[in-house]
Amino acid sequence: MLKIDRRIIFLVIGLCTLLPLLYPVGLPIKISSEVRGVYNHIESLPERSVLFMSLDFDPASKPELHPQAIALLRHAFRKNLRVVTMTLWVSGTGLADQIVTQVAKEMGKENGKDYVFLGWSPGNTAVIINLGQNLYNTFPSDYGGKPTKGLPVLDGVQSLKDVTYMVSLGAGNPGVEAWYVFGKDKYKFEMGGGCTGVMAPGLYPLLRSGQINGLIGGLRGAAEYESLIDQKGKAVAGMDAQSATHVAIIVLVIICNLFYFSMRRAAQQHSQVGS
Amino acid sequence: MIFLRRQLPLLITMITGLLFAGQYYVPHPASEQLLTSATKWLQIVGGFALVLGVTSLFHQHAAKIRRKEEGWGYSLVLYAGMLGTIAVGLWANGKESLEGAATAFGWVYSYMLVPLQGTMFAILAFFIASAAYRSFRARSREAAVLLIAAVIVMMGRVPLGEYLIPLSGDVSQWILNVLNASVRRAILIGVSLGAVALSFKIIFGVERSYLGGGKE
Repeated sequence: MLKIDRRIIFLVIGLCTLLPLLYPVGLPIKISSEVRGVYNHIESLPERSVLFMSLDFDPASKPELHPQAIALLRHAFRKNLRVVTMTLWVSGTGLADQIVTQVAKEMGKENGKDYVFLGWSPGNTAVIINLGQNLYNTFPSDYGGKPTKGLPVLDGVQSLKDVTYMVSLGAGNPGVEAWYVFGKDKYKFEMGGGCTGVMAPGLYPLLRSGQINGLIGGLRGAAEYESLIDQKGKAVAGMDAQSATHVAIIVLVIICNLFYFSMRRAAQQHSQVGS
Repeated sequence: MIFLRRQLPLLITMITGLLFAGQYYVPHPASEQLLTSATKWLQIVGGFALVLGVTSLFHQHAAKIRRKEEGWGYSLVLYAGMLGTIAVGLWANGKESLEGAATAFGWVYSYMLVPLQGTMFAILAFFIASAAYRSFRARSREAAVLLIAAVIVMMGRVPLGEYLIPLSGDVSQWILNVLNASVRRAILIGVSLGAVALSFKIIFGVERSYLGGGKE
C-alpha cells in the first residue's frame, strides 16, 4: 500500500476536483482579517481616489490571481475610484488587459476617464523606482498607444507619491515584496497585496509589521473577497474543489503514515523474535 | 588592457554603488533627478537585455539543431513557436486586440500560451498529492511536528476543514501569523544582512566573480 500506483492518486485528485465543480456544495467562507484589511481600506476611500493596481502574474497563476483581480476591480469601480493598472510581467500583459477591459465594460467605465491600463515596460524593479520619480517618463503612452499626459484618470497624479492606495497582485518576483522595497518604502503610499497560496506564508512578516495593510492569499483569499463584495464568482465556486482536494491529500497522508507505522512495528517485532 | 577589463569596471561599480547608496538618503532635487535618469537608463538597458536574451536563446538552440543533439526536435518546436509569435506580433503591432476583435497575436496568447501555462500549473496539484503520499511520513519528531502543522493549516484554509474541525481555522491563522511570520522574519533579516555584506564586497572590489573569468 505504501507503493500504491500513482495513477490511483491522480484519479482521486481528479475526481475531488471535478465532482465539486459539477455539484457545488457552497460551504460558508469565513473572512480573515488580512483580506478584510484590503477591503476595508478600499471601502474607506472617497470617490475618485486613485487606486494603482499592478497585475504581476502570468497565465500560470490565472486560477488564483484572476479572480482576485476581478473582485478588486469590481469593488474599485463600484466605489467610483480612478483605477490605474499595469504589469511587471511581460507574459501577463495580454491577460491583464483582458481583465481590466472586461470588468470596466461590465461596470460601464470609460477608458482614460475612469481607468487606464499602462501595459508593461522593461526594467523590472527599475520601473517601480521610475514610477516613483515620474509616471509620465515611465509610461509616456498607455497600452493602447494614447499619450498618458492629459488623461482625466491621471489628473493630479505625477508619480507614485500621488497614489491613494496601491495593490500588487504578484505571483513571484517582481511582485508584492518588490513593490514594498522599491516603492512604498521610498515613496510612502498605502499598500496592500495579493498573491498565490504558496507565496502567502512568505508575506506574513510584511503583513504583521504593517508594511502592507492587507493580504489576499490564493483562491481562498479571492473567495473571501468575492463574498465581501457580494459578487460570488469563480473563486467561491472553486473553494469546494479545493476543500475536497485538501481533505483527500490529508486522508492520503494519514493512510500512508498508518501503513508506515504498522510496517515499522512489524519489522521491529520481527527483529526482536529473530534475536 | 587590464585597466579596461578589470580596473575600470571595478571603478564604475565602486563609484555608482557608493553614489546611489548615498542618494537614497539625500532628498535634494538634483539627487532625485540623478535617480530618475539612472532608472530610465536601467529601463533602456533592460530592453536591450531582452534582445540579448532572445538572441542567446536562438543561438543556443540553433547549435543544438545543427549538431542534432538529443532532443533537438524540441529546439525546432521552440524556433517555430518563437518565430511564429514574433511574426504575428509584429504583424499585429504588438496588440492582442484591435477594436475589441482579437488579432492573430491575441489568438496565440489566449488559445496557446494561456492554456499551456495553466495546464503546467494545474498538473502540479497531482504531483504534489502523489509526492505528499510518498514522502510525508512522521519518521522523526521534527517530521511529525511538520506533518501536524501542515495538516492543521491545510484544514484551516478550506471551508470543509473549518466545517469538520471548527478550531482548525483559528489554529491555522495562529500558525501563519505567529510561528510562520517570526521564522520568516528571522530568515529575511539574515538574508538582508547577507545582501548588505555582499553589496559592500562588490562595491569595494572584494567580490569580483561578476566580472567573469576571462584572460587578463
